[in-house]
Amino acid sequence: MEELVAEIIISLTKTIKAFQMYGISHPITKNFFIPFYQKIEEFLKNYKELSFRIERFTMLHSNLVVYEDKERDTSIAFKLFRDGIRNITFYEGLETDELFLFLETISQPLKEQDIALSLWECDFSHISFYVVEEEESLTYQIPETRIENIDYDTKITEMIQLEKLDMTKSIMPDLNPDELIILKSEISSDQKKEMQLLAINTLINFLNIEKSEEIINSLIELSEQCINNNDFYNARRIIHKLNAYPEFKIIERFENEVTILSFKNLPDTLNEKSFNEFIAFIGFFSKKTVPYLMTMISTVKRKERLESLRYRIAYICQDDPTPILPFLEDKNTTRLINAIAILGIMRLKETITYLRPLFYHAEPPVRMEVVTALAETNEPMVIFEFLNDTDPNVRIKVLQTLAQNRYPKIYPELLRRIKSREFPCLNFIEQKEFFNCLVVNGDHTITKNLERFLFKWVLFGKANYRAIRKLAALALAQVGSEETLKILQKGIKKKNKEIKSACETALKQK
Amino acid sequence: MSLYKSGQDIISFFSTLVKATQIYDVNNDVVQGAAKKFISYINSLFTTTSYIELLRYRDYIFFNRVRLRFEIEGYTSLQFINEKFKRLTIKSLSFLPGVSQNEIIKFASVFKEDRDSFLKLYAMEKFKFINIEFSSGEDEIPEFFQNGEQIKRSYFKALKVTKNLMQNLWTKQPIDAKSIRKVVYTLIDNLVQDETGLLALTTIKNFDEYTYNHSLNVGILALAMGERIGLTKINLVKLGTAGLLHDIGKVEIPKDLLYKIDNLTNEEWESLKLHSLYSVRQIIKTRGLDEIAISALIAAYQHHWNYDGSGYPTLGEIELRPIFYARIIRICDAFDAMTTPRPYHPISYLPPIAIRVVWERRNTYFDPTLAKIFVQLLGLYPVGSCLELSSGEIGLVITQNLGYFDAPVIKIVINSKGEKVDGRAIDLSLEKDIKIIRAVYPQTYNINPASYFKVG
Repeated sequence: MEELVAEIIISLTKTIKAFQMYGISHPITKNFFIPFYQKIEEFLKNYKELSFRIERFTMLHSNLVVYEDKERDTSIAFKLFRDGIRNITFYEGLETDELFLFLETISQPLKEQDIALSLWECDFSHISFYVVEEEESLTYQIPETRIENIDYDTKITEMIQLEKLDMTKSIMPDLNPDELIILKSEISSDQKKEMQLLAINTLINFLNIEKSEEIINSLIELSEQCINNNDFYNARRIIHKLNAYPEFKIIERFENEVTILSFKNLPDTLNEKSFNEFIAFIGFFSKKTVPYLMTMISTVKRKERLESLRYRIAYICQDDPTPILPFLEDKNTTRLINAIAILGIMRLKETITYLRPLFYHAEPPVRMEVVTALAETNEPMVIFEFLNDTDPNVRIKVLQTLAQNRYPKIYPELLRRIKSREFPCLNFIEQKEFFNCLVVNGDHTITKNLERFLFKWVLFGKANYRAIRKLAALALAQVGSEETLKILQKGIKKKNKEIKSACETALKQK
Repeated sequence: MSLYKSGQDIISFFSTLVKATQIYDVNNDVVQGAAKKFISYINSLFTTTSYIELLRYRDYIFFNRVRLRFEIEGYTSLQFINEKFKRLTIKSLSFLPGVSQNEIIKFASVFKEDRDSFLKLYAMEKFKFINIEFSSGEDEIPEFFQNGEQIKRSYFKALKVTKNLMQNLWTKQPIDAKSIRKVVYTLIDNLVQDETGLLALTTIKNFDEYTYNHSLNVGILALAMGERIGLTKINLVKLGTAGLLHDIGKVEIPKDLLYKIDNLTNEEWESLKLHSLYSVRQIIKTRGLDEIAISALIAAYQHHWNYDGSGYPTLGEIELRPIFYARIIRICDAFDAMTTPRPYHPISYLPPIAIRVVWERRNTYFDPTLAKIFVQLLGLYPVGSCLELSSGEIGLVITQNLGYFDAPVIKIVINSKGEKVDGRAIDLSLEKDIKIIRAVYPQTYNINPASYFKVG
């Protein structure tokens, strides 16, 4: 037995050192822990319990010193003794988790922490420890009962009458099954989140009655916890309340690069409700956070959320493009595109001026974003310039943008381009966008022009012209007037199979 | 699996088996099935333990030295076994490795009998792997059972810490937050060992220092309720801390108002009502904002909210149900306040009257389920109650009787001739001839109930 105890103690000291040096999850720590547990388990199998008496620098088993270390910084015995622990016993049935937690607890550098309290909190089933209270004399005396000069029996009668009690009525305090079920569910429910919400309500209620620095600081602490837990609803409630106390500069605490960049994964991972709360939360930020926000949103993948964030940044800028302008020179395409988009959202007179240097940017996505941004400026002819862009996607973007609003000015130019020799060579999608844009921006001559495109007699390049007939027919159907429908019906009767087929398809779609 | 859980299971399986033998023949499938389960369970325990012992000391049952608590879950089984042990005068029952299904069924069918038949049959059967030790009346305190002196010591230590804390807050001195944690842990340890002993100490009512006594008493009562309900240790810590600190905001109320003897004006009353609000601030000062402090501050804020939405601080139109801990503290606070003399009502309610008030105000002031548990815990005649008996004697309730809410164990303190005596203890659930006539003020007989618990 003594040998085994000696082995256990050697193993204990090595394992604790490993816990302290490598941390709890390191394989080396586990390599020390496993044989230690096995040795204790072997002992407990034979002797049921293993008890150590703790003295200042020593540990004793069966009155024999089995451990001694007089260095206060390293002595396990001293660490336990210092906080009043005088005995530790391990019992048969000891589980690995329990022993691991025990070692983890006593290995920690406990400067402020009381090791006895920490061990108590572990709530072990097979480890017990005895803690001594500081020796002090308690001189408390039982207080004498005060005897008043009254008739106590009369007092009893008065009380019973006052409370309208029937002291003879039988009482059955047994719980019925429903009460038991409700009680059990109340006991087992995890109230952590609910508690935080209630704590916030309580502290806010407090401030409704009285201003208190402690309460404000507590709310600030809770707001930090909320943000760490992605609970932006409550963070926002706290900030909203504390905005009444500007001297505490609540929002400034979160307007730093580290905090804001820590949000970068949230737009893609939060659920819809939390994301909306997040958007509302960052609405508290001032312009100075724009550079961090621009970096934060540069990794967002979900388009609709990115768009919401751009709108939010535009809101934070409050019509002042200054924080955005440096990003128009950003080498990072994503940040540059975001900056262009935000500028577009701001709908400023000067947008064209700011964006003009980017009209011939090497990256087509940049030019496309410029087109989108320009759409807000109500200057269609500036956008129209991009129809000369070398990239078909940019041109398609232009046509889509111009189709979003009516710009009659561009109609003649659109017609001219459709009639041009180059038009049949464009890809079908671009041609389709041309016709779509034409319908949106067309004047009273549109029907006539579309009819001409539909029925045009073509000698050469019939194959190329087939798509134009089809698109013209579809455009007529899109116009949808009586006159256009008649034209399509007339087309069905034509001998030309291409015209007939185009009209049939258009009418079907109509 | 913990010893505690194993103990609960053993009690549950064993009481099921005994109850089955009360209804069915030993060869019936129900009995055989219950015995099979029991045997299989204890055999699984024998892989990690060499003995299984159920021991009764006072009204407590211990399984392999671990006290089994009277929780809502398993309450009936534990009560049944405790009652059987009491009536059969069993001190301990041990099962040894090798016990068979047949032996266990035979034992259960003997165990179900009344005392005389049981003693006869037990002597006849000669069980090989089941041992019984009988109680000799005044049993020795088990070595692992914390003695009463230690509980009293812990109580007064807790009182001192509570007093120091409040006084330091009053005088704006640094506070020792660690000592409050220690107090709660110690109270929980004491409660797990001996809730009757600790509850008895709540009968101490100090007129001059009632604020400290009240805080501690509410903490103890709340913990005893939490333990009865079956809260986990960490939740007991939250509840105990909340109970202990619920009135800590009183340190912000001017002392002359707090101790005013005359009736309070409306304005003064409104100021006094702010104490639950101030408790929030003081709890934060004392404990910071950890999980335990958060529960405590909410409970403190809500401890004057009633179950029906009334109370204070009012929230205007909003009606919210107080949190679980606040509903527990609401009852404990009201009960202790009713039974404690204070400057503005020097004659406190008798505990049996206060218990009836709690009962009558369930659904309005108090959570009805929790009110029932409170009555179960303290009984209709709580410890410390002074009772006039049909024998002409005066008895002092010294302990509750599990399952008999209206029949506690009492100690005769005044004989039928009106003389003070250090009389016998009577279990009113066993002595059917003695009835309770009514509760009386101990002052009428110049009795100080707390002194009968040999405190100090």
